[in-house]
Amino acid sequence: MAHADEAAIFNKDEEKVDWHDKALWFVRQKRDKSAHNVKGWETLRNLASAIKANVMSNLDNYLIQFEENAQKNGITVHWAVDADEHNKIVHSILQQTNVKKVVKSKSMLTEECHLNPYLEAHGIEVVDTDLGERIVQLAKEPPSHIVLPAIHKTKEEVDVLFQKHLGTKPSHGDPQYLTNEARKHLRDKFLKADAAITGVNFAIANTGGIVVCTNEGNADMGAHLAKVHIACMGMEKLIPEEKHLGIFLRLLARSATGQPITTYSSHFNKPASGTEMHIIIVDNGRTEQLSREDFRASLHCIRCGACMNTCPIYRRSGGHSYKATIPGPIGSILSPGKDLTKHSDLPFASTLCGSCSDVCPVKINIHEQLYKWRQIITKNVPQPVVKKTILKMAGRVLANTKLYDFAGKSARFMLKYAPRWVVYSKLNTWGKARDLPEIKDGNFDQWYKKRQRHE
Amino acid sequence: MSRTSILNAVKKNKPELLPLPEINLNVFSEDIDLVKTFIENVQFVGGRAILLDSIKDIDAEIKNLYPHAVKMVSCIKESSLGSISISKNTEPHELETIDLAIVKGELAVAENGAVWIAENNFTIRVLPFITNDLVLVVNKEDIHLHMHSAYESISKRDRTFGLFISGPSKTADIEQCLVIGAQGAISLTVFII
Repeated sequence: MAHADEAAIFNKDEEKVDWHDKALWFVRQKRDKSAHNVKGWETLRNLASAIKANVMSNLDNYLIQFEENAQKNGITVHWAVDADEHNKIVHSILQQTNVKKVVKSKSMLTEECHLNPYLEAHGIEVVDTDLGERIVQLAKEPPSHIVLPAIHKTKEEVDVLFQKHLGTKPSHGDPQYLTNEARKHLRDKFLKADAAITGVNFAIANTGGIVVCTNEGNADMGAHLAKVHIACMGMEKLIPEEKHLGIFLRLLARSATGQPITTYSSHFNKPASGTEMHIIIVDNGRTEQLSREDFRASLHCIRCGACMNTCPIYRRSGGHSYKATIPGPIGSILSPGKDLTKHSDLPFASTLCGSCSDVCPVKINIHEQLYKWRQIITKNVPQPVVKKTILKMAGRVLANTKLYDFAGKSARFMLKYAPRWVVYSKLNTWGKARDLPEIKDGNFDQWYKKRQRHE
Repeated sequence: MSRTSILNAVKKNKPELLPLPEINLNVFSEDIDLVKTFIENVQFVGGRAILLDSIKDIDAEIKNLYPHAVKMVSCIKESSLGSISISKNTEPHELETIDLAIVKGELAVAENGAVWIAENNFTIRVLPFITNDLVLVVNKEDIHLHMHSAYESISKRDRTFGLFISGPSKTADIEQCLVIGAQGAISLTVFII
């Protein structure tokens, strides 16, 4: 099903869509307030963008430097070309250490690699420990937002879910009660886990360390209690020097939720004594994206989700409508690089208003890349017949003055005198939930000439 | 093998070298009251920051704020409230029932209410997360304006494990309602000496 069809399903519950729309816009407003409080905010964005561009242009050397420093500190570094190899590496580490129970903090990379089903098929229990991720895991759904994974769920839905899986009492969706119950439930999982898997927010080439950011403390609860810590990272997470964290940590949380920084920004450099630490560096299509000059900058993304919160399409269609690991504007420029046919509708799920690029902390030209993907897709992927025919006709009409005048006249006549069921037929998708504006008699040309005569 | 093929692919696909930008920190300098800004930001992120005249007052303040705390770990010599002692050999899981931990912060950041603590300040890595309540202590003169200055100050450290903590653990994953006390410590008090 295409994005538009998925969005139509999401839009059936109007009240929920309105809530979703407003909740995300509220997060966007918090981002604005927070950003305006920082002196030199635009300088921070420019620096972050330039640092990431430097990283991409020297990525091989930074990766080698990172590996060398991490190894010096007693961390084992693994490399995976694709999702399958990543999953196999994780599984083999768990097998070697005889692990049966794993706790995992938020990692979009492991979502991308479908790690959970892989491990579960091999008899390993994986518990997602971020509250939002735990909610969607229990509901057997993917996250619908990269920072707010359960934003599509109402508190009543969470209530029912927790009653079923955690044995909670009905509470009409009391967030305090439900969070407390989840805390107890997850505490038990943390204490019993043999291994912890985390994502990586930043990997620092000149120290070989990684930084993991959370608000809940779940990554740390997992990593510091288990004997084995596996950190999974896309290769683009690298930054050259530790001092650059000053720039990225100032941008990340403010762009994501409007907080000045996440509650915990944990710097892992060496494993604790008696424990193992592994880092898996994953390609999975990233080197290919690096080769595309027009789309290379999409790899600058630090996964804050600001482009989703501001996007008029995302807010009204929900994350699941994108059918991609990373939804929203940034996902729509990343996903076609992985599978052009499967994700060919995504670059069209945009008004090209440019708001995503305006809020992006690393200044990715998201809306321009969406436009560029459209050019590639219309050449390479068969388009729907109606769309193709209409655009062909429009091209012919717009290229010919007489034809254009005639079309304008007949359209105005039709819209004025044709019955409503003709004007608002199935072909008029614009008029589905809206009325067309009142029709005037003449066109712009006539109006302009008349105006000149009167002057 | 994958390592070589990834590195080769990067070498082949990367653009021409672009320079690392110069960072001019003057753009970010501000003449503000660091202590006041820090206190406001700790409150903004759901914590509490209290200015103390002397470190000697700390035990009385803690007893007053946390009257029910029994199992306490103190990682500072100025407090005698510690009822549980920990060492490098302590099994992390044993800290499950700790009510309160007191940890020395090496520095604080005014712009975001964060405090930097490093492993040698608290011995067992899970302590600041697994404890029910967390108390941090920082010196007034160790409050920095922004993160750039903070990173400069910790650049020479022995790197094992360390973190910035800004407020208590929290979540808004259920309908965007903020709930303090997710998986980590459910309250945070910072004493400024």
